[in-house]
Amino acid sequence: MSAFNAIDDEREIDREEFTPALEPQPTWCPGCGDFGVLKALKQAMPEVGRTPEETLLVTGIGCSGKLNSYFESYGFHTIHGRSLPIARAAKLANPGLEVVAAGGDGDGYGIGGNHFMHTARENHDMTYIVFNNEIFGLTKGQTSPTSPMGHKSKTQPHGSAKQPLRPLSMALNSGASYIARTAAVNPNQAKQILQEAMEHDGFAHVDFLTQCPTWNKDAKQYVPYIDINESDDYDFDNTNREEAAEMMFETENKLHEGEVLTGRYYVDSDRPSYQQEKQNIGEMPDEPLAERYFDEDYEWERSYDMFLDKHA
Amino acid sequence: MPADFNWAIGGEAGDGIDSTGKIFAQALSRAGRHVFTSKDFASRIRGGYTAYKVRTSVDQVQSVVDRLDVLIALTQRTIDENLDELHEGSVIIYDGERTQMQDVEIPDGMVGLSVPLKRLAEDAGGAIMANVVALGAACEVGSFPIENLDSALEKRFKSKGQQLVENNMEAARAGQDYVKEEYDHDFDDYDLETTDEDYVLLNGDEAIGMGAIAAGCRYYAGYPITPATDVMQYLTGRIENWGGHVVQAEDELSAINLALGAARAGARSMTATSGPGIDLMTETFGLVATSETPLVIADVMRSGPSTGMPTKQEQGDLNMALYGGHGEIPRFVLAPTTVSECFWKTVEAFNLAEKYQTPVFLLADLAMAVTEQTFSPEAFDMDAVEIDRGFVVDENDIGEHQTEKGQFKPHELTEDGVSPRAFPGTDGGAHMSTGLEHDEMGRRTEDTDMRIEQVDKRNRKVETATEREDWSPREFGDPDSDTLVLSWGSNEGALVEAVRFLEEDGIDVRFLSVPYIFPRPDLSEEINDADDVIVVECNQTGQFADVLEHDALRRVKRVNKYNGVRFKADELADDIKETLAAEAEA
Repeated sequence: MSAFNAIDDEREIDREEFTPALEPQPTWCPGCGDFGVLKALKQAMPEVGRTPEETLLVTGIGCSGKLNSYFESYGFHTIHGRSLPIARAAKLANPGLEVVAAGGDGDGYGIGGNHFMHTARENHDMTYIVFNNEIFGLTKGQTSPTSPMGHKSKTQPHGSAKQPLRPLSMALNSGASYIARTAAVNPNQAKQILQEAMEHDGFAHVDFLTQCPTWNKDAKQYVPYIDINESDDYDFDNTNREEAAEMMFETENKLHEGEVLTGRYYVDSDRPSYQQEKQNIGEMPDEPLAERYFDEDYEWERSYDMFLDKHA
Repeated sequence: MPADFNWAIGGEAGDGIDSTGKIFAQALSRAGRHVFTSKDFASRIRGGYTAYKVRTSVDQVQSVVDRLDVLIALTQRTIDENLDELHEGSVIIYDGERTQMQDVEIPDGMVGLSVPLKRLAEDAGGAIMANVVALGAACEVGSFPIENLDSALEKRFKSKGQQLVENNMEAARAGQDYVKEEYDHDFDDYDLETTDEDYVLLNGDEAIGMGAIAAGCRYYAGYPITPATDVMQYLTGRIENWGGHVVQAEDELSAINLALGAARAGARSMTATSGPGIDLMTETFGLVATSETPLVIADVMRSGPSTGMPTKQEQGDLNMALYGGHGEIPRFVLAPTTVSECFWKTVEAFNLAEKYQTPVFLLADLAMAVTEQTFSPEAFDMDAVEIDRGFVVDENDIGEHQTEKGQFKPHELTEDGVSPRAFPGTDGGAHMSTGLEHDEMGRRTEDTDMRIEQVDKRNRKVETATEREDWSPREFGDPDSDTLVLSWGSNEGALVEAVRFLEEDGIDVRFLSVPYIFPRPDLSEEINDADDVIVVECNQTGQFADVLEHDALRRVKRVNKYNGVRFKADELADDIKETLAAEAEA
């Protein structure tokens, strides 16, 4: 029984509950892919069975960071690149929460890249949605870590000379246990993937292609798309690490050739989460760290000889 | 014969200096003697010299002095490094059979005891015990019952088998017997009497860790860094017993954000680091403050800037703690002044953080962090530890803090500035928080009036705390003296003794040790009433002196030390005398 009364509250959940009364209407540009993420997330929540009161959404900085404002839940809009440590610690402190972190490609793969690697490595039980539009949108159109080579922008007027980062491969190599790519233009798949990601026990990384019609190409940037799990042209086992790696590599190459591949790339359901690993070796208590231990009736033994060996 | 006894072992890094010194400190503590240790990396010559120094007395000792009575010298350089501290009659124990020690020069008036440390150790079971042979020899010189060494040896080597414990005991006795038989010298000058007192021996980092657990800290995140790592190592393996967890982060950027995340979820949480780590963490200070999340951030200072001198003392981060971060960030800064105060100030830091929902900096320093010191268990009276988690609401009272439409107000504008907190998972409390300026509901805003309301509200918490809490300095010496000495941090112990030395010389001094840097006590009256005001601190520019001058609108005299070595009591007494003399001449 959690000390927090909204946790495990068994009741019917309507997706409209996730539309906040204060800011029901997002201010993203018309045609922006971010709408697709918001819609898919709202649709997935009732399927997962979590209410706004037991959900914590942690965001970074960028257009994607506005997600909090348009999604009713406990929310924390943080600083550039740091959503992951905040989110994973909150989950560890209160495992009863549904914890989702979200941010853009600059936020997650650039300034927060180290946290991405290590959160994946440690396999924290949470979902990370990366709004990947291959551009910096909020600052009005600069080259991002996923912008393709040759991509021209105000900061790279002669075209980017850098290889774009490979988000799926990076997640796999870092140790994420659920890795998928979806696109805003594919709402059904997006909803299903977000649902699976949240239900997955471990670190679920969703690279969410969100077209930026204002600063990148157009609203049809990621159309048409192919679902690799359904297409007959692709046959691979997404529980096999090697096959997953190959599929990811191909997907990342093809994106820059104009072919949009999406789907579930890697699923490892057996790997214990950070919390489970730590509990197995006795370094993590069974009770949540976050508790109402301020209650007057809460007592615990504190005497110096429990803290110190005499004479050190 | 002075009441205190000063002992040291020195050699090269890798000679087991630290562990040998600690065994001796533990033996003294077990024998009911007070102990104050220091690690000496001070180097007048290049290269790897290190020493572990122990000052012991039956009375509490709070600092180091410039005097060495017994020195175990594993190298010639150990003697050279300590010439200033050795005196007539000092005993130097060395191994004259070692090639590099054959031509050792014992200064005039001192007693050199050549003891075949290595050979006797080999006879007892292994050359590795040479330092323990030296400890036995030192026990003989200090008339210290060697049985007290046994329990410390047992504790140190028990896990490696009883045979090793017995070999070590034998090695110690071989050293003792050798001195007894070979040297017809009367060592009665030193008589390390034992008592029945029961002491605990710990350092400042451990006291911070202990304070954190006692205060109900449930989450610690850190990245290894000298000299703060001991906080994390103390908590690891212990905090689990009180429902907590320690996380080793990928970097300090992560560490502070992890601690912040756990705090938002409702766990008391902290991080600890040193200068280079604080630099990285600075990014998050503003978010902690604007999201009004309680967080304890400990900075165990070392010599900077940049990598500086990682194992040396400095109090150079005061300005960083006061002003670090862009924009104006309300915060509290506490600076414990002794090892036991590290415990109490940590407890206080957690309560302040939660009562006022602000970042609280705990500014400790290396001298305290690596000093092992003895205390009576009563110094850590757990019954006196109180936990105040501040204004937290649950599903029952949350309705009082919602808008008419049922929207919770995490940044509610209140008279004292403190708003209600609702932890995620509480019905009726769903809200967002952000590093952007926001309204009462946590929604971003650029409304000019709300901006002012929220900035004022956050700062009102500091004003409220300034009124409600006790920010008094710690007072020592003669309260009526015209000479006022002010200091902060770990200098307190050395200054308390220095004041006593000055008193013996007929100089009365009033000493105020200030553990609260912000908010801090208003000392303008004390400063303006005194004839001479001297501010003592371990930095070059006088960062604390600057803020005091600003407070009191009066210039003060400064005693600064920034060579990487902590203040010593006798040295400080001389510094104060010189400062007063210079003032008198002027």
